[in-house]
Amino acid sequence: MTLQPVTVTKPVVEVRHLAKAYSDTVVLRDVCLSIPAGTVTAMIGPSGAGKSTLLRCLNLLEQPDSGEIVIDGHRLTAGERVNPKDLAALRRSAGMVFQHFNLFPHLTVLRNVSLPQERVLKKSRAEANAKSMELLTRMGLADKADQYPSRCSGGQQQRIAIARALALDPRVMLFDEPTSSLDPEVGVEVLEVMKELAAEGMTMIVVTHEMAFAANVADELVVMADGGIIESGPPRQILQDPQHERTRRFLRAVLDR
Amino acid sequence: MDMLLAILIGLPMTILVTVLALLIGSVLALPLVAGLRSHNRFVWLLCRGLVDLLRGIPPVVWLFILYYGISVGVIRLTSLQAGVLGLGLVAAAYLAEIYRGALTAVHAGQWEASSALGLDRATIWARIIAPQAWRAAIPAYTTFAIGLLKDSSIASTIGVAEIVFMSNHYARQSGGSITVYFVAAAVYIVLSVPLGMLSRKIDIRMRKTVTR
Repeated sequence: MTLQPVTVTKPVVEVRHLAKAYSDTVVLRDVCLSIPAGTVTAMIGPSGAGKSTLLRCLNLLEQPDSGEIVIDGHRLTAGERVNPKDLAALRRSAGMVFQHFNLFPHLTVLRNVSLPQERVLKKSRAEANAKSMELLTRMGLADKADQYPSRCSGGQQQRIAIARALALDPRVMLFDEPTSSLDPEVGVEVLEVMKELAAEGMTMIVVTHEMAFAANVADELVVMADGGIIESGPPRQILQDPQHERTRRFLRAVLDR
Repeated sequence: MDMLLAILIGLPMTILVTVLALLIGSVLALPLVAGLRSHNRFVWLLCRGLVDLLRGIPPVVWLFILYYGISVGVIRLTSLQAGVLGLGLVAAAYLAEIYRGALTAVHAGQWEASSALGLDRATIWARIIAPQAWRAAIPAYTTFAIGLLKDSSIASTIGVAEIVFMSNHYARQSGGSITVYFVAAAVYIVLSVPLGMLSRKIDIRMRKTVTR
């Protein structure tokens, strides 16, 4: 089952027949996905559909039961022992942004962004700090560098988290409901940053409830329900003419409120 | 005045026993807490059993066992060795539980974020989890340390010449006056109150920077 139309660019992320269950509860069933370089894919669907689980399987925060994941040439087959080198390479290729930011509260903003570069990319402190400051400046947060995350607003914290992930030069950015724990007004700051990233050609997979972002920024919209992908394609087409009854029901719920 | 001096002769020993026992406890608690978090059933059961055994028997009984019990063969512990070892082992059990609680206070998202960034396990433990857990453990840790300072007096029962031992000695020599114990009590207060104050100060300072 291939859902993706033929594209000229080589996919950065390929998911084949991914499945996962917690004892009796199936959370992912036979998910296939192909993400071409430089595209933005928005994943929508009711809660419990498996969107976050799928995203978390991509960098192996969750172990899939079966199937295969290829990210930037690093292939992982479920059920096979993952050697730490492959895992590290895969996680380096995929940057992740969480709903609750998950910044390190005991480190300053600058250390939050610099420490992973020093440890993962083996950069010197000075090199790492230079890169961090460049990213923080881009995010409009240079003046927060010496603060602790707790002194920053939610929107600022999420942008710091994005900077921290970008600092490792990932090939693809995974966003797990990046604005869901933010006030709508604050969420806009984060969405602006994400739009800029998209415009720069970053490959992005975004699990979101922000329908405007999905409609206007995403190149591809993936609708998930009950652990499977029920529909995918250009956002406008799906939003205007959903093929699946489950999609129609979900869109009615999120759009007509 | 000579009463106070007589007691203060025991002060270095009280501090020595407390510090050494705390040191032994703090270090031995690390493998214990690793075992308590282990998914290996056997390792978990072993460490759980050890912790319960160490905590379940009164420290004074441990000291007697170590001091009088281990005299078979060539090994014979001095009263100081038995006191430090006994209190250190019991401390390990309590501190393992304190560490365990502190580790659960570190949000699961910290593990996820560190792993997603590709940090290796050693770095995650050393740079992300341990510093946060340590902060969470400080209040309970210092409370325990102050408790240990007082419990070090148990070592007097096997003849370690610390504050209570010296007080007993003085009381016997001077004809059984209990005044000496009031002075001993004052010495313990003078030692423990500043410790408590220091602990609260550190705790408040760390909370200020770290709380979200």
